[in-house]
Amino acid sequence: MAKVSVWSSNRFWRRSATWVTGVSAVLLILLTFDSMAQMQMGTAKDIKNKVDKRIPSPVVINYKIEYKMSRKRGHEVPIIGGMSPDGKSLYQVKEKFFGRDDYTEAEARALIHKGKLTIQAKNCMDCHTLLGNGAYYAPDLTKAWLDPTWETLAPAYGGKEYAIATFLQNPPAMAMHERKMPNLGITKDEAKAVVAYLKFMSAIDTNGFPRNFGKIKGAVDAWK
Amino acid sequence: MILEPCRDVVCSFWSMLDQGPMTLTITLHTLIVLPMVWIYFDEKKRLERGDVPEE
Repeated sequence: MAKVSVWSSNRFWRRSATWVTGVSAVLLILLTFDSMAQMQMGTAKDIKNKVDKRIPSPVVINYKIEYKMSRKRGHEVPIIGGMSPDGKSLYQVKEKFFGRDDYTEAEARALIHKGKLTIQAKNCMDCHTLLGNGAYYAPDLTKAWLDPTWETLAPAYGGKEYAIATFLQNPPAMAMHERKMPNLGITKDEAKAVVAYLKFMSAIDTNGFPRNFGKIKGAVDAWK
Repeated sequence: MILEPCRDVVCSFWSMLDQGPMTLTITLHTLIVLPMVWIYFDEKKRLERGDVPEE
Protein backbone atom coordinates (compact mmCIF):
# COMPACT_ATOMS: atom_id res chain seq x y z
CA MET A 1 0.00 0.00 0.00
CA ALA A 2 1.39 3.36 -1.01
CA LYS A 3 2.12 5.85 1.74
CA VAL A 4 -0.41 8.66 1.46
CA SER A 5 -0.52 12.14 2.94
CA VAL A 6 -3.95 13.53 3.71
CA TRP A 7 -2.40 16.91 4.59
CA SER A 8 -1.35 17.50 1.01
CA SER A 9 -4.72 16.40 -0.37
CA ASN A 10 -6.74 19.17 -1.97
CA ARG A 11 -9.99 17.34 -1.30
CA PHE A 12 -9.36 17.19 2.46
CA TRP A 13 -8.84 20.96 2.72
CA ARG A 14 -11.78 21.69 0.45
CA ARG A 15 -14.14 19.52 2.50
CA SER A 16 -12.85 21.01 5.76
CA ALA A 17 -13.23 24.57 4.50
CA THR A 18 -16.76 23.83 3.28
CA TRP A 19 -17.69 22.36 6.65
CA VAL A 20 -16.21 25.24 8.71
CA THR A 21 -17.77 27.92 6.49
CA GLY A 22 -21.15 26.19 6.49
CA VAL A 23 -21.29 25.64 10.25
CA SER A 24 -20.10 29.20 10.96
CA ALA A 25 -22.74 30.65 8.63
CA VAL A 26 -25.51 28.66 10.32
CA LEU A 27 -24.22 29.64 13.78
CA LEU A 28 -24.11 33.32 12.86
CA ILE A 29 -27.69 33.18 11.60
CA LEU A 30 -28.85 31.48 14.84
CA LEU A 31 -26.91 33.97 16.98
CA THR A 32 -28.45 36.88 15.04
CA PHE A 33 -31.92 35.66 15.99
CA ASP A 34 -30.74 35.27 19.59
CA SER A 35 -29.42 38.86 19.62
CA MET A 36 -32.71 40.13 18.21
CA ALA A 37 -34.58 38.49 21.10
CA GLN A 38 -32.10 40.00 23.57
CA MET A 39 -32.51 43.51 22.13
CA GLN A 40 -36.31 43.48 21.89
CA MET A 41 -37.97 46.04 24.17
CA GLY A 42 -40.08 44.55 26.95
CA THR A 43 -43.76 45.29 27.45
CA ALA A 44 -45.90 46.37 30.40
CA LYS A 45 -47.03 42.73 30.56
CA ASP A 46 -43.41 41.62 31.11
CA ILE A 47 -43.14 44.00 34.05
CA LYS A 48 -46.44 42.75 35.44
CA ASN A 49 -45.23 39.15 35.12
CA LYS A 50 -41.80 40.08 36.55
CA VAL A 51 -39.98 39.03 33.39
CA ASP A 52 -36.51 40.62 33.14
CA LYS A 53 -35.63 42.24 29.83
CA ARG A 54 -32.43 44.00 28.87
CA ILE A 55 -34.49 46.91 27.58
CA PRO A 56 -37.56 47.19 29.83
CA SER A 57 -40.93 48.62 28.86
CA PRO A 58 -41.23 52.43 29.01
CA VAL A 59 -43.60 51.98 32.00
CA VAL A 60 -40.40 51.43 33.98
CA ILE A 61 -40.56 55.20 34.64
CA ASN A 62 -43.27 54.41 37.23
CA TYR A 63 -40.81 52.37 39.30
CA LYS A 64 -37.84 52.94 41.53
CA ILE A 65 -34.59 52.11 39.74
CA GLU A 66 -31.51 51.03 41.66
CA TYR A 67 -28.32 49.12 40.93
CA LYS A 68 -26.74 46.20 42.69
CA MET A 69 -23.39 44.48 42.20
CA SER A 70 -24.05 40.97 40.88
CA ARG A 71 -21.30 38.52 41.82
CA LYS A 72 -22.60 36.01 39.31
CA ARG A 73 -22.45 38.40 36.36
CA GLY A 74 -19.42 40.32 37.64
CA HIS A 75 -20.91 43.80 37.27
CA GLU A 76 -23.75 46.03 38.43
CA VAL A 77 -27.26 45.06 37.37
CA PRO A 78 -30.46 47.14 37.41
CA ILE A 79 -32.95 46.43 40.19
CA ILE A 80 -36.38 47.72 39.24
CA GLY A 81 -39.12 48.29 41.82
CA GLY A 82 -37.32 46.78 44.80
CA MET A 83 -35.20 43.70 45.26
CA SER A 84 -36.22 40.16 46.18
CA PRO A 85 -34.08 38.21 48.71
CA ASP A 86 -32.37 36.39 45.82
CA GLY A 87 -31.27 39.70 44.27
CA LYS A 88 -33.82 40.00 41.46
CA SER A 89 -36.11 42.89 40.47
CA LEU A 90 -39.48 42.80 42.22
CA TYR A 91 -41.28 45.37 39.99
CA GLN A 92 -43.33 46.49 43.00
CA VAL A 93 -41.85 49.62 44.58
CA LYS A 94 -43.18 52.60 42.65
CA GLU A 95 -41.71 56.08 42.52
CA LYS A 96 -43.61 59.23 41.59
CA PHE A 97 -42.44 60.74 38.33
CA PHE A 98 -43.68 64.33 37.99
CA GLY A 99 -46.41 63.53 40.52
CA ARG A 100 -47.61 60.29 38.91
CA ASP A 101 -46.73 56.61 39.06
CA ASP A 102 -49.49 55.29 36.81
CA TYR A 103 -48.24 56.12 33.31
CA THR A 104 -49.74 53.69 30.83
CA GLU A 105 -47.54 51.99 28.26
CA ALA A 106 -48.79 54.35 25.51
CA GLU A 107 -48.25 57.47 27.65
CA ALA A 108 -44.79 56.40 28.78
CA ARG A 109 -43.81 55.42 25.24
CA ALA A 110 -44.99 58.78 23.87
CA LEU A 111 -43.05 60.59 26.60
CA ILE A 112 -39.75 58.82 26.00
CA HIS A 113 -40.26 59.15 22.24
CA LYS A 114 -40.57 62.93 22.66
CA GLY A 115 -37.48 62.77 24.88
CA LYS A 116 -35.57 60.93 22.18
CA LEU A 117 -36.61 63.47 19.53
CA THR A 118 -35.53 66.34 21.83
CA ILE A 119 -32.18 64.66 22.51
CA GLN A 120 -31.69 64.32 18.75
CA ALA A 121 -32.93 67.84 17.95
CA LYS A 122 -30.69 69.46 20.58
CA ASN A 123 -27.70 67.35 19.53
CA CYS A 124 -26.87 66.15 23.05
CA MET A 125 -24.34 63.77 21.47
CA ASP A 126 -22.25 66.74 20.31
CA CYS A 127 -20.87 66.77 23.89
CA HIS A 128 -22.34 63.77 25.76
CA THR A 129 -22.39 60.04 25.15
CA LEU A 130 -25.59 58.00 25.40
CA LEU A 131 -25.02 54.26 25.82
CA GLY A 132 -21.44 55.00 24.83
CA ASN A 133 -22.27 56.79 21.56
CA GLY A 134 -21.36 60.44 21.11
CA ALA A 135 -18.65 62.90 22.11
CA TYR A 136 -16.33 62.81 25.12
CA TYR A 137 -16.60 66.46 26.22
CA ALA A 138 -19.38 65.99 28.78
CA PRO A 139 -20.37 63.02 30.99
CA ASP A 140 -21.98 59.82 29.70
CA LEU A 141 -25.74 60.03 30.21
CA THR A 142 -26.54 56.29 30.26
CA LYS A 143 -27.03 56.25 34.04
CA ALA A 144 -27.36 60.03 34.55
CA TRP A 145 -30.70 59.48 36.29
CA LEU A 146 -28.85 57.68 39.12
CA ASP A 147 -26.20 60.38 39.62
CA PRO A 148 -26.25 60.96 43.41
CA THR A 149 -25.89 64.72 42.80
CA TRP A 150 -29.58 64.83 41.90
CA GLU A 151 -30.51 63.17 45.19
CA THR A 152 -28.83 66.00 47.09
CA LEU A 153 -30.67 68.60 44.99
CA ALA A 154 -34.02 66.78 45.06
CA PRO A 155 -35.41 68.19 48.36
CA ALA A 156 -34.98 71.79 47.19
CA TYR A 157 -36.88 71.14 43.96
CA GLY A 158 -39.55 68.78 45.21
CA GLY A 159 -38.03 65.69 43.61
CA LYS A 160 -35.11 64.47 41.53
CA GLU A 161 -37.05 64.73 38.26
CA TYR A 162 -37.93 68.39 38.94
CA ALA A 163 -34.28 69.18 39.73
CA ILE A 164 -33.07 67.65 36.44
CA ALA A 165 -35.87 69.32 34.45
CA THR A 166 -35.07 72.72 36.00
CA PHE A 167 -31.38 72.23 35.19
CA LEU A 168 -32.14 71.30 31.57
CA GLN A 169 -34.24 74.42 30.99
CA ASN A 170 -31.38 76.73 31.97
CA PRO A 171 -28.14 74.81 32.64
CA PRO A 172 -25.81 77.84 33.13
CA ALA A 173 -27.93 78.92 36.11
CA MET A 174 -27.20 75.60 37.87
CA ALA A 175 -23.66 75.02 36.59
CA MET A 176 -21.85 72.28 38.53
CA HIS A 177 -18.64 72.06 36.53
CA GLU A 178 -16.15 74.31 34.78
CA ARG A 179 -17.36 72.97 31.43
CA LYS A 180 -20.72 74.67 31.58
CA MET A 181 -23.59 73.21 29.60
CA PRO A 182 -25.10 75.93 27.37
CA ASN A 183 -28.74 76.96 27.40
CA LEU A 184 -30.27 75.01 24.51
CA GLY A 185 -33.75 76.52 24.80
CA ILE A 186 -35.33 73.30 26.08
CA THR A 187 -38.97 73.92 27.02
CA LYS A 188 -40.70 72.62 30.15
CA ASP A 189 -42.46 69.82 28.26
CA GLU A 190 -39.29 68.85 26.43
CA ALA A 191 -37.33 68.81 29.70
CA LYS A 192 -39.91 66.46 31.23
CA ALA A 193 -39.65 64.16 28.21
CA VAL A 194 -35.84 64.19 28.32
CA VAL A 195 -35.89 63.28 32.03
CA ALA A 196 -38.30 60.41 31.22
CA TYR A 197 -35.88 59.22 28.56
CA LEU A 198 -32.95 59.42 30.99
CA LYS A 199 -34.87 57.45 33.61
CA PHE A 200 -35.86 54.81 31.06
CA MET A 201 -32.29 54.60 29.75
CA SER A 202 -30.90 54.08 33.26
CA ALA A 203 -33.01 50.91 33.57
CA ILE A 204 -31.40 49.28 30.51
CA ASP A 205 -29.18 46.33 31.42
CA THR A 206 -25.93 47.36 29.70
CA ASN A 207 -23.77 44.45 30.96
CA GLY A 208 -22.07 46.79 33.43
CA PHE A 209 -21.50 49.78 31.13
CA PRO A 210 -20.25 52.38 31.96
CA ARG A 211 -17.38 50.62 33.69
CA ASN A 212 -16.70 53.28 36.34
CA PHE A 213 -20.36 53.54 37.36
CA GLY A 214 -19.92 51.14 40.30
CA LYS A 215 -17.28 53.41 41.82
CA ILE A 216 -19.67 56.36 42.17
CA LYS A 217 -20.57 56.51 45.84
CA GLY A 218 -24.31 56.23 46.33
CA ALA A 219 -25.08 55.03 42.80
CA VAL A 220 -24.81 51.29 43.48
CA ASP A 221 -26.14 49.40 46.51
CA ALA A 222 -27.51 52.74 47.70
CA TRP A 223 -29.68 51.08 50.36
CA LYS A 224 -26.64 49.91 52.34
CA MET B 1 -26.03 21.68 40.04
CA ILE B 2 -23.20 21.57 37.53
CA LEU B 3 -25.15 23.14 34.67
CA GLU B 4 -27.10 26.29 35.35
CA PRO B 5 -30.22 26.54 33.18
CA CYS B 6 -29.82 30.28 32.55
CA ARG B 7 -27.01 32.73 33.14
CA ASP B 8 -28.32 35.58 30.99
CA VAL B 9 -31.02 38.25 31.36
CA VAL B 10 -33.07 36.79 28.54
CA CYS B 11 -32.79 32.99 28.59
CA SER B 12 -32.03 31.01 25.46
CA PHE B 13 -30.19 27.92 24.29
CA TRP B 14 -27.02 30.03 24.03
CA SER B 15 -27.29 31.34 27.57
CA MET B 16 -27.37 27.71 28.73
CA LEU B 17 -24.13 27.03 26.85
CA ASP B 18 -22.56 30.04 28.58
CA GLN B 19 -21.59 28.35 31.85
CA GLY B 20 -18.31 30.19 32.10
CA PRO B 21 -15.77 31.95 29.90
CA MET B 22 -14.74 28.76 28.05
CA THR B 23 -17.85 26.59 27.65
CA LEU B 24 -19.29 28.24 24.55
CA THR B 25 -15.87 28.32 22.89
CA ILE B 26 -15.18 24.66 23.68
CA THR B 27 -18.65 23.58 22.49
CA LEU B 28 -18.41 25.43 19.19
CA HIS B 29 -14.85 24.24 18.54
CA THR B 30 -15.85 20.65 19.29
CA LEU B 31 -18.76 21.00 16.90
CA ILE B 32 -16.40 22.19 14.16
CA VAL B 33 -13.28 20.13 14.86
CA LEU B 34 -14.78 16.66 15.52
CA PRO B 35 -16.34 16.30 12.04
CA MET B 36 -12.99 17.47 10.60
CA VAL B 37 -11.33 14.49 12.31
CA TRP B 38 -13.88 12.28 10.60
CA ILE B 39 -13.23 14.05 7.27
CA TYR B 40 -9.48 13.40 7.77
CA PHE B 41 -9.88 9.64 8.25
CA ASP B 42 -12.46 9.42 5.47
CA GLU B 43 -10.06 11.10 3.05
CA LYS B 44 -7.21 8.88 4.27
CA LYS B 45 -9.26 5.77 3.54
CA ARG B 46 -10.11 7.04 0.05
CA LEU B 47 -6.48 7.87 -0.73
CA GLU B 48 -5.32 4.43 0.44
CA ARG B 49 -7.97 2.83 -1.78
CA GLY B 50 -6.84 5.04 -4.64
CA ASP B 51 -10.47 6.16 -4.93
CA VAL B 52 -9.68 9.80 -5.72
CA PRO B 53 -11.23 11.36 -8.83
CA GLU B 54 -8.99 13.37 -11.16
CA GLU B 55 -9.01 17.09 -10.35
